[in-house]
Amino acid sequence: MGLIQPSGKRSRLRVFPTIGRVIGLSAVAFFAIGPLCWMVASSFRPETELFQDPPQLISSGITLDWYREVFVGSEVLKWFNNSFTIAVLVTVLSVVMGTLGGYAITRFIFPGRRVFMGALLMSYLFPAILLLIPMYLLLSYLNLIGTIAGVVLAHLAITLPLSIFLMASFANSVPRELEEAALIDGLGLFGAFLRVAIPLMRTGIATTCLFAFILSWDEYLFSSAIAQGKAITVPVALAGFVTSFDIRWGAIMALSTLVSLPIVLLFGFLERYFEKGLTMGSVKG
Amino acid sequence: MSPRKTTQVISLDSTLPVGGSNRESMRRPLLGRGLVRQSRIAGILFTLPATLVFLVVLTYPIFQNVRTTFYSVSLMTGQSKFIGFDNIVQILEDQELAKSVSHTIVWTVASLVGQIGLGLIAALLIDKPWRGMRFLRTLFLIPYVVPVIASALLWQWMLDGHYGIVTEPLHSLGLVSEGMSPLGQESTSLAAAILINIWRGFPFAMLVFWAAMQTIDQGQYEAASLDGAGPWRSFISITMPNLMPAVVALIALRGIWTLMYFELIWLTTQGGPMGSSQTVAVYLYKVTMGEFQLGYGAAIATVTGLSLLVMIGVIMLFRRWWRNR
Repeated sequence: MGLIQPSGKRSRLRVFPTIGRVIGLSAVAFFAIGPLCWMVASSFRPETELFQDPPQLISSGITLDWYREVFVGSEVLKWFNNSFTIAVLVTVLSVVMGTLGGYAITRFIFPGRRVFMGALLMSYLFPAILLLIPMYLLLSYLNLIGTIAGVVLAHLAITLPLSIFLMASFANSVPRELEEAALIDGLGLFGAFLRVAIPLMRTGIATTCLFAFILSWDEYLFSSAIAQGKAITVPVALAGFVTSFDIRWGAIMALSTLVSLPIVLLFGFLERYFEKGLTMGSVKG
Repeated sequence: MSPRKTTQVISLDSTLPVGGSNRESMRRPLLGRGLVRQSRIAGILFTLPATLVFLVVLTYPIFQNVRTTFYSVSLMTGQSKFIGFDNIVQILEDQELAKSVSHTIVWTVASLVGQIGLGLIAALLIDKPWRGMRFLRTLFLIPYVVPVIASALLWQWMLDGHYGIVTEPLHSLGLVSEGMSPLGQESTSLAAAILINIWRGFPFAMLVFWAAMQTIDQGQYEAASLDGAGPWRSFISITMPNLMPAVVALIALRGIWTLMYFELIWLTTQGGPMGSSQTVAVYLYKVTMGEFQLGYGAAIATVTGLSLLVMIGVIMLFRRWWRNR
């Protein structure tokens, strides 16, 4: 598996002198992380300090009122439950189908392989917004609007091409010799896949899980049309929150913090896999 | 059969799907006597589930969309009426769509320049074996990971007309009128959305550039410095040429996605005020989800899809030419 390693002590390009580099890094860190710190800080600010004109940077007190308001005044647990259920289902389905499909195009010569790969490339590049109308019509024809199953199906249109593509890249980097040895030992093609290739593709499977989960958790476009009523997801509910209340910024920042938290934690733990997936040239948006 | 390296440094250009440069290395199947027939069957079985899903959620919708282009659909009655090329004619006469196209071009070019430019600077900054650099790299990636709904709401709050922490200095400088949000002002709404998109997208470019930098042979820099080349000279003659494949790939892939990127603009400005930040994607969403003109929406989607196909084709030809130069 390809690894990206900083190249240690060897001499490197010095465009920035040390002081300039420190200043530059601080500036980028401030731009990247400052807004997120402000989001979290705002969710703990008392109302009087949140709404002052002009705004003040330093707050004198902290409060949990906004979180209380969110948990008491909305069905936030139901939204999170929906989003989580959908993301897990989407992840499992795309990883299973992605592993099978990605493995097949790197190992087997079969009729329709080129067509499959062409369709994969097209669907990978095709913007989701162009599928919105027919997807909506299809799911309403199947009576799946407002159901978990409908949202899962729509999300698969986004996560499946990426999953197959990622798994194909990983499968391609796994040496075939081990499977060939297993075949000679009498294991069938499926046995070699299951017992030899799958364990070797662990990293790829973890990476694909991570991306499928994040994409589904984050998805707004299809969900806004399909995840209505009982099946509403966090992003859709959160977007509705802005217009339905007289804008309760404290509560909105509390919800934004809550929706980001699982993803940032997941990313923090699996950052290595995330970088690997990104440098393989994946992920829309 | 060409020899295949089992360990290789991930090179972005060879793994990106655009242009299919990966095809050669993908071609080697499993070897073995009598595997030809088995391999045919296994291949079909393994790809069957994904093929079925593709047929339902991609092929059928695309086919249906092209069909709907020639119909007028009423969502109330569920009736559709064949109207031939009327929807296509409407596209050509649609002033609002024309305006959206020009906004889309500004949005895409400015977002890409910002993301790639800032991404390159950030990559150069973190490309140093200092303690803690790995942590900083992780930190810089977070804007890209945070759900877009949270980013959109967060920036709306920071750019609020009265209480926004970022708006305040803009008011003092007179760049934004008192009590207004940059997102709510016709002259600045698109620029504000682009700024948010740069914030969200630059970490991706940074990581891609940084990964490409790790594959540059350090000996080149040593040789250059022995020849008396300064840092800028080395940057221009060694780093940049090595990063060019990454730049081309970023422009191609992110370009296609940024053109039709919907969520961020919709969730911050909804294309307003007065359509000042409305791109084609936002316009399409409004026409379909807001006005329920499904036939016309489908026509816009079909024409846009075809234009993208042409663009992808041109990009692929360009990349082929680039590689074979």
